[in-house]
Amino acid sequence: MRVDISRRRFLQGSVALVVLGGTSLSGINLFADAKRAVKGPFNKKVPTLCEMCVNKCAAIAHVRDGIVRKLEPNPYFPKSRNMLCARGVAGIHALYDPDRLKYPLIRVGERGDGKYRKATWDEAYAYIKEKMVKILDEEKDNRSCIGYCAGEGLGEHTYKTFMADKFGSSNFLNHSTICLQTAVSGFALTIGAYGQADLENAKYVIMAGANRAEAILTPDTMDLFKRTRGRGVKLIVVDPRYTNTAMHADSHIAIKPGTDLAFVLALTYVVIKGQLYNKTYVENNFHDFDKYKQHIIDGNYTPEWAEKITGIPSPTICKVAHDFMVAAPQAIYYQGRRTTWAKNDFQLRRAMALFSALGGGIDVKGGIVFGKKIALGEHATNAPLYANAQQRVDKDAAAVVGATGSWVAWRNLVAEGKTAYPVRGMFVYKQNPMLSVPDSAKTRKMFEKMDLVVVIDTMPSDTAMLADVILPECTYLEREDPVQSFAGVEPAIALRQKVIEPMYETKPVIDIMRGLSETLAKPLWEITKKYDEDVQSEMETRGEEEVYTEDGFDLTEPFKHSQEEINKEMVVSKHGEAAWALLREKGVYYPEMQASFKKINNNNYEWYAKNKKAYTVLDLEEEVDREAFATEFCESCESCVDPADVAAWKRTFSTPNKKIECFLGSMAAKGVDPMPTWRDADYVRVPAGKFKFITGRHAQFTQTATVNNVMLLELMRENYAWINDQEAQKLEIKFGDLVEITSSVGTIRIKAFPTPKIIAETIFYIHGFGSTSEGMTFAHRNGASDNEIIEGNIEPVFGSAIMHDTLVTVKKV
Amino acid sequence: MNYAMALDYQNCINCKACEVACKEENGVQLGAEKQRIWVGMVEGTIFGKPFANIYPSQCNHCLDAPCVSVCPTKASHYVLGGIVKVNAKQCILCKGCLEACPYDARFIDDTKVAVDKCTFCDHRFAETGTTACQATCPTKVRTFGDLDEENSDLVVLLKTRRFFFQKESIGTLPKLFYLLPEDEAYAKQSVAHSTNIYTWKDIKPLYDQARNKRSKEWRR
Repeated sequence: MRVDISRRRFLQGSVALVVLGGTSLSGINLFADAKRAVKGPFNKKVPTLCEMCVNKCAAIAHVRDGIVRKLEPNPYFPKSRNMLCARGVAGIHALYDPDRLKYPLIRVGERGDGKYRKATWDEAYAYIKEKMVKILDEEKDNRSCIGYCAGEGLGEHTYKTFMADKFGSSNFLNHSTICLQTAVSGFALTIGAYGQADLENAKYVIMAGANRAEAILTPDTMDLFKRTRGRGVKLIVVDPRYTNTAMHADSHIAIKPGTDLAFVLALTYVVIKGQLYNKTYVENNFHDFDKYKQHIIDGNYTPEWAEKITGIPSPTICKVAHDFMVAAPQAIYYQGRRTTWAKNDFQLRRAMALFSALGGGIDVKGGIVFGKKIALGEHATNAPLYANAQQRVDKDAAAVVGATGSWVAWRNLVAEGKTAYPVRGMFVYKQNPMLSVPDSAKTRKMFEKMDLVVVIDTMPSDTAMLADVILPECTYLEREDPVQSFAGVEPAIALRQKVIEPMYETKPVIDIMRGLSETLAKPLWEITKKYDEDVQSEMETRGEEEVYTEDGFDLTEPFKHSQEEINKEMVVSKHGEAAWALLREKGVYYPEMQASFKKINNNNYEWYAKNKKAYTVLDLEEEVDREAFATEFCESCESCVDPADVAAWKRTFSTPNKKIECFLGSMAAKGVDPMPTWRDADYVRVPAGKFKFITGRHAQFTQTATVNNVMLLELMRENYAWINDQEAQKLEIKFGDLVEITSSVGTIRIKAFPTPKIIAETIFYIHGFGSTSEGMTFAHRNGASDNEIIEGNIEPVFGSAIMHDTLVTVKKV
Repeated sequence: MNYAMALDYQNCINCKACEVACKEENGVQLGAEKQRIWVGMVEGTIFGKPFANIYPSQCNHCLDAPCVSVCPTKASHYVLGGIVKVNAKQCILCKGCLEACPYDARFIDDTKVAVDKCTFCDHRFAETGTTACQATCPTKVRTFGDLDEENSDLVVLLKTRRFFFQKESIGTLPKLFYLLPEDEAYAKQSVAHSTNIYTWKDIKPLYDQARNKRSKEWRR
């Protein structure tokens, strides 16, 4: 049968199909044959970047009849290693989720009851403007009275450009302090950067707490699991649970939650006492090593001492320490992410970095490497200065509160009304603090105090249900995002391109910021003129128009250009037109890509030749060394060089003393231990009848963002509480029994999973489930949310949320 | 042409990317029980310590497929390369093939009102060289290819490794080649004592013979 349709009718049909696609994807196969031949905007393959988690893997979207049919891996991107995980492939169901936010909504009921009316974008902007003008007028142009938060993503910066640089609020929060702040800073302050574990070449890896089989990270996951089990890398997994990562380990060591620091200190004790460390490397590259050595010996951190705390037999600790140093420098104590398990987490990360460094495994092939980053042009913004904008409210909550604040401390201050000035409004972009910040009841209390809550999201999350105005963002497949350069051993630039036009009335965040800035610029300028004495005096000499435009008060200025135009400028200014064309065509660009990108077979690709990989990139201390070093690393003689010798060269690290820092004097001044120290008083013991609650990630779900995805829900409908099988037996809890778990801040109900795969006195369930938003048809009340019961406590250095120190009771319902 | 697949199952991290890719690629009916491919898991304890083995799996496209022999309407049939498929229009849902399949690789697709199963993605491998499950896999467990082509990724791989089959003793000559782990301890943990281990030399004549016997049934 031949079906002829006019271009116009085809177009109409496709639009109808797109809308239909929102509700039943698999049923659409109407005139498929007729259109398979049609080329053009409705039939294409678009390279883009995934946003189902934080990794940003390269994907190719297959579009037929204007509908995204399939997401395939894009082999050009070295970081994602030619793969898409379950979530990446299921991205189509984020796009065609029937529960998506489709148009702006304005609240008509009480906050939290979920009653909204459909609004136009202009109505939504006008509503926000009216509230903002009132608040800022009453708060005398203190821009920080509006807080804002954002989840991780390529659009985060665009949002920040508006909220921080242009609007001028200092109260920003992102995922850092509920994620990896302590690890990133612990490593950065010790070895100069967080670095990348070179799992393609490491010979010995201690993975403690990290779970790369279930918390997928590129390229770590891909590199590691092709080399385990006698294929090059020995993997030691230290975890209270027997995870899918532990399954691949040569040795799984069960550890009591919160005792990792004792384990690392004991390892350090063994290698220092036994003089097993790389002495030349330490001599050349450590600062204050003698202090650390003395500290460890004086602390008497023996394996026998650690055994009592961690539950790990002392011979095991000795063996791990010895084996690690035998494999060093190609030995890594893996950094991990989503850390902050206990109060001492910053010290733990420091101790881990120092332990890896003792073997010489920092900035060396097979160790922790720093990689290179390909330059991109800049998109500059003229940021105005507001005389009345106050400093962040949580600035004294911890020793070092950075620009991303301390989520829990900030929330506590606002909820308890203990801020230096009123925080009356909150903008939330792509984050779901109701489920992602410990102690949900308190987060709710915080939102209930606000005069204005604006949520920008793709889904009606639990947080969106507390908003006054909900602005619908389009999904990642419907927008171009800021181009990004990915640092690493094999660096590349990659681009998220729009695959199809935004559905419904949704918009990309840059368009939303443009709309907000156009609505707010002039009314807010009037308030600044009224209260800002600096602006008033400037205006006297230079006139209003000049101050408004030249001093950055015109909020619309960074959003004049489209994202495509900005990206083009950023790439072309550094790499030329050809690079831009290649990036758009392939989705990826790096210098000499066309020459060095090779397909080896259907499973394997080569992105960089061996000798072009950026294993060692830091400056060496002496010019002579650098040359010798380069020769050492030439491919031809690679096999004849002892890596320990390579590691021994003097380097320059990005730390204050240009060396690996054992002693942090600046931290000592802030009341933080200058060297990793175990403090018994900080350790939360488990009293009889109680359990310690721990949480974690899952390979089929990303935090709370994918819980409504029908494809992923097939793989796991809800989360289960892991409990040690012997303890469960005593409590007469069987698989699937409903149990009630109670902490000092909340109670949840969840089904039980008694298993030998978790140590005693510990309860675990996966983060992200337990949504109570009625807008989430498929996710509604599946399992339980961890943050309902995790207490809102912070560690003292960065104010990061402590995730694994909550004591709970469990009873069968 | 004799299509088959090797599985380096020790790479598998049970992320289920393959299951999802299969469903998206082939429009498989939603529902946890509706799977063309799956990741099987065996877990327990040894001397009180937990262990787990993962075996990704799917239809074995057996050279002597009982599901084809048992089908009363010839809905179950071979296509070129020995791929076992189901013609939904001819299927009368007698479920004989569901019983006959040793691997439980078939299920009923309620939208097609027919039995459904893995097709080795025969609609796409001419263009891409891979099945959807292989292409998407983070740790590259699978290698699809042609046993009759000396230079295929598959044969190149099978020549360098030893392998075994699941439920080989039933005698259906399955074509999922499970690659024996080089690590002896892990091999012992994940392969039964009684399992036969083969090399390419052992298996090639056997499989050629079987192909010759039944390939007359293979049709376009």
